[in-house]
Amino acid sequence: MVGQPSRDHDYRAGASARHGAAHAGAGARTYLVVAAFLLAITVMEVWVFYVPALARILVPILLILSSLKFALVAMFYMHLKFDHAWFAYVFIGPLIIAIGLAVALLWLFGHVGTTGVPHAGAG
Amino acid sequence: MIEAGGADARAMSIVAHAAPHAEARGLASWLTTVDHKRIGILYGTSALVFFLVAGVEALLIRLQLARPDGQLVGAQRFNELFTMHGTSMVFLAVMPLSAAFFNYLVPLMIGARDVAFPRLNAFSYWVFLLGGLFLNASWLVGTPPDAGWFGYAPLTSKPFSVGPHSDFWLLGLLLLGTSSILASLNFLVTILNLRAPGMTFLRLPLFVWTTLVTNVLILLAFPPITVALVFLMFDRFFGTPFYIPAGGGSPLLWQHLFWIFGHPEVYILILPAMGIVSEVLPAFARKPLFGYPSMVYATALIGFLGFGVWAHHMFAVGMGPIADSAFALTTMLIAIPTGIKIFNWLCTLWGGSLRFRTAFCFAVAFVAMFTIGGLSGIMHASPPVDLQQTDSYFVVAHFHYVLFGGMILGLFAGIYYWFPKVTGRLLDERLGLCHFWLMLVGFNLTFFPMHFLGLMGMPRRIYTYPAGLGWDFWNLVCTVGAVLQGISVLVFLANVLRSLRAGAPAGPDPWDGRTLEWALPSPPPVYNFAALPTVLRRDALWLTKHPDARGPGLADPGALVAPVGAIHMPAPSHWPLLTALAMVVLVAGALLHLGVVIVGGLLTALAVLAFATELVPARADPGGHGGGVHEDPHVGATGLDHRKLGVWAFIGSECLFFGTLISTYMVYRGRSLQGPYPQEILNVPLITMSTFVLLMSSLTMVLGVAAIQARDVRVARRWLLATAALGGVFLAGQVYEFSHFVHEGLGLTTNLFAATFYVMVGFHGAHVTVGVVWLSVLWYLLARGRLGARDEALVDMAGLYWHFVDVVWIAIFTLVYLIQ
Amino acid sequence: MIGLPDRIHMESELTLRRARRPRVPGLWAVAIGLALAGCGWLDSPATTLTPRSDFGWISHRIFLQILRWDTGIFVVVQILLLIAIFRFRERDPKAIPPQVRGSVKLELVWTVIPAVILTFIAFPTVGAIFRTQAAPPKDALRVRVIGHQWWWEFQYPDLGFATATDLHLPAGRPVSLEIAGADVIHSFWVPQLGGKRDAIPGGITRIVLTPDAPGEYYGQCAEFCGASHANMRHLAVVDAPEAFAAWAASQKEPAPTPPDGSPAAAGRDVFRTAACVGCHTIRGVSTGGIGPDLTHFGSRKTIAGGIFPNTPENLARWVRHAPGLKPGSLMPEQRLSDPEVAALVAYLGSLR
Repeated sequence: MVGQPSRDHDYRAGASARHGAAHAGAGARTYLVVAAFLLAITVMEVWVFYVPALARILVPILLILSSLKFALVAMFYMHLKFDHAWFAYVFIGPLIIAIGLAVALLWLFGHVGTTGVPHAGAG
Repeated sequence: MIEAGGADARAMSIVAHAAPHAEARGLASWLTTVDHKRIGILYGTSALVFFLVAGVEALLIRLQLARPDGQLVGAQRFNELFTMHGTSMVFLAVMPLSAAFFNYLVPLMIGARDVAFPRLNAFSYWVFLLGGLFLNASWLVGTPPDAGWFGYAPLTSKPFSVGPHSDFWLLGLLLLGTSSILASLNFLVTILNLRAPGMTFLRLPLFVWTTLVTNVLILLAFPPITVALVFLMFDRFFGTPFYIPAGGGSPLLWQHLFWIFGHPEVYILILPAMGIVSEVLPAFARKPLFGYPSMVYATALIGFLGFGVWAHHMFAVGMGPIADSAFALTTMLIAIPTGIKIFNWLCTLWGGSLRFRTAFCFAVAFVAMFTIGGLSGIMHASPPVDLQQTDSYFVVAHFHYVLFGGMILGLFAGIYYWFPKVTGRLLDERLGLCHFWLMLVGFNLTFFPMHFLGLMGMPRRIYTYPAGLGWDFWNLVCTVGAVLQGISVLVFLANVLRSLRAGAPAGPDPWDGRTLEWALPSPPPVYNFAALPTVLRRDALWLTKHPDARGPGLADPGALVAPVGAIHMPAPSHWPLLTALAMVVLVAGALLHLGVVIVGGLLTALAVLAFATELVPARADPGGHGGGVHEDPHVGATGLDHRKLGVWAFIGSECLFFGTLISTYMVYRGRSLQGPYPQEILNVPLITMSTFVLLMSSLTMVLGVAAIQARDVRVARRWLLATAALGGVFLAGQVYEFSHFVHEGLGLTTNLFAATFYVMVGFHGAHVTVGVVWLSVLWYLLARGRLGARDEALVDMAGLYWHFVDVVWIAIFTLVYLIQ
Repeated sequence: MIGLPDRIHMESELTLRRARRPRVPGLWAVAIGLALAGCGWLDSPATTLTPRSDFGWISHRIFLQILRWDTGIFVVVQILLLIAIFRFRERDPKAIPPQVRGSVKLELVWTVIPAVILTFIAFPTVGAIFRTQAAPPKDALRVRVIGHQWWWEFQYPDLGFATATDLHLPAGRPVSLEIAGADVIHSFWVPQLGGKRDAIPGGITRIVLTPDAPGEYYGQCAEFCGASHANMRHLAVVDAPEAFAAWAASQKEPAPTPPDGSPAAAGRDVFRTAACVGCHTIRGVSTGGIGPDLTHFGSRKTIAGGIFPNTPENLARWVRHAPGLKPGSLMPEQRLSDPEVAALVAYLGSLR
């Protein structure tokens, strides 16, 4: 018996899975539509930025819009929508931890406790 | 970063024949090896040498403190000793010793022939070794690091640390971090993708599980410390104010970033030892691990919770009652999965047939001693108590019970257990038990009294103390214990040297083992398994030897060691070593001269290029579709491409890297002490155009990927070129923006905004640059016909990286330019 | 305004403290504690085990509580381990023991029991966190504690003077210690008065506590802060209220003027002409701001960051060889003749 009997089989299965995945559901037309959305959302973001009336809710609007862009690129251009779920896990898991740490840090630094957290100002 | 390469099997294969010892010999074969077992041996021996060095440092510390007003070493030397002791034990002894076990055992345990990226594995080792030597070279020039292993700012900043002490430290840690992150990618992909048929997740040996969780932690915990070290480097080399209060920076940022790394690091250190113990106890009790599934969940839970507790190292900085309470509670939560583990180990022993070999003794001692460390840890989870104990000898006692009583004893259990597998010879039991008892007694004598010293108010890291504080007696006891430990290590070394020459032959399975490595000869042949195993149940080998009512654990055990024909194994390569050397030139150059940095940078770039294209055929290969071999070396049993999985894991790691950079920018928003301020200087219309360009480059990229997947190389090439060109336009915009800012008076060190902005956006630009080079090289190789339609995976991976850089920009554009 | 002794407050605080004392901290803990403490093996002027403030007592109470749980768990685990080791030794090398794989019921037990125990620890912990970090009472004495490489400065902003190395506090009155770092991070710690708090450059942290009883309590910097971290010590002197009031009144005075012709007067001239004035303040004489304020130097018990008793011999050695006695010390060696040193020592000693 030579080498690994199972590998050939796995390779074929893997290759087809890979090819199948990459082609399913995403074609040039989809990519163009996504690009149009990306540009449109960016225009909207910049527009919102220049509208004084929206200044109070600027931050939430911008966060939602840019998350939308982020998701579009990740799902369509990076194929997460069509690809193997593990890819999504190894990306989204760390992303959640990174966002969690960012929120925690902002809270820790923005929140002056009763014992006082050092902030601006020279020693 | 990834194993690039096509499918020319001849270029990357040696053929191993039936004779198990047909290995290359000689020094060169070790320098160019990519065999996971040899790399494991290299990791192990290097780590033991560093362990001895760090142990001698510890002995000197103890001798200095044996009596009040000790005169053995001065204050400065003492501070260097404890800094290097801690740094070396963590980064040069224990992590690499764990890596030795990962390397040697994981492929054997999961039924694979090697790790996913053998050359990258060698590269990780060489970077570790050279990084360790670089760090210790500081002793030779007389300026070892001296600010403690967690190097609290601003003690590490220029005014308070004038010589190159802290430079050695931060540059050395950057090298070691690079090594660790790359190794973690490798093991993550190996475990996910190279498991033998039937080796499902809940059939993995627990050691493989702890390895998996450990490497996920490394992958995610090292980026924040890398960023923190880069900030420190900018503070020290260029005068930025990241940690300088006078410039608006906060020394606490360092502490947060360090412990965001530092606490997961504790689990990075202890989990492998827990995995080892979870293999050793069942083997010598002749019983399965009690509660395997809950052990798996506990391991994963400890890893996950480990990211939410870091600030319990900082209760004394005064974060306020809400934050203190939150971190106290998350910390206490960790005690639950830890407790589950301890009781499951106890129950593994209960009802067994215990054979008291040295390995087993160490594993049992692990359970006993680690419990003590865990219990004192509960005290530190309670801030009011922690305020008395932190930074005192009580905490020194605590973490040595965890790290020595846990980790080191666990690693010794592993050494005694697997030494016969690696060398083919048994370690001597009599010397082994002598080593064990000396170490156990010495350890407790050293570290238990430190609890008392801490409660008696002795702070850690003091080079001297006066008589009359009641500390004299216990310090003397500690020192006596340390000497005993030193002797025990000598006994161990004698045992190793003797057994290597004259130890009893081990045979394939001296302990009646449970995991797959014991099915192979000792040492195993280069190719590990003649035929890859098919696993039917957990504890497969044990159940094959002792089948129960449900039958054996392996489908065809005889095939694992049957005579073999040709097996393709990766060829040796000198590029891992050369690339590592080039990196060290780059890093060491920072201490020498700008010219050396530039030369080192060029050499590194060239070496990386050569490394990445080593496996690409040198000439066009007109016939090649699949390269004429039966197997694609890059696809695992799951059907996923290792390299693609590796790129995704790398991107996951990058999330933490950019997450830390962006967090820092936002934390420091509005804290600049002088202008120009962002709202005065950011040019939104210009950057909007840049953003359009980068978004469009993602479109061209994805069209390129689609084209090559449709086998249209010509069109694909065109789109790749377009993507690279758009990337170039974006970079040009950035260069214009930066030079405009400088013109407006915003230099790198002008204020906190400048420092955070330039470093964050600069790192993004560096990523774009790497992407442009990557795409250009792909374009060239495709144009020359050295790569073809069959290499679509390579284009796909470059695309993933490119899109990731794009989404990072989406975040930066909004958070920096629009939310001012 | 110097707080007059607030007896009512002090008494209520003391009764409260007694009421909060733990009942029985676990048999084992008691046994070990008695054995060690009884023989005096855990005695230290820096001990955390005999608190002398409300803050210290809160910590200590939870410490004993956790110690009790810990001891119980420790005993259970180690006894089970010992039983397993002795009872299940291999007897027949061929025997294969029953292959038990686990027990959901048992595993639930040791998930739930620790969780319950932790709840018992968590509640008092959170309560103590909020109690110890409450805002200081209005009548609290404010002291600014500033860590320098390597000595502690204590400013009394409401009383208008500053001192170094010796921290005087009144017994029975709440104190609000506002802690900061002048250069790197230090950590203020007087074990008998309670837990530590970091002194961070660029910010202020706080400890609020009420010392119980007059006495001298040893303190030492607890965060590694460079070469002479080990030599950054201090003394917390808790005075009876009247004694504190008297001490504060004398500290408020400017430096005493030595009689003309005395050795101390000669010493003052040395002080004025040597490098001393560049770094040290003596109110009415000099305004240097780098080293400790020496206005009432003679009234201090220790010198040089608390590492030597304040004796003329020690002071003379210190003036001559500061960096040799304290590695990294910013105070340079003074090239003074013997008579000059003697005069200087006499002058500084006279600043009571």
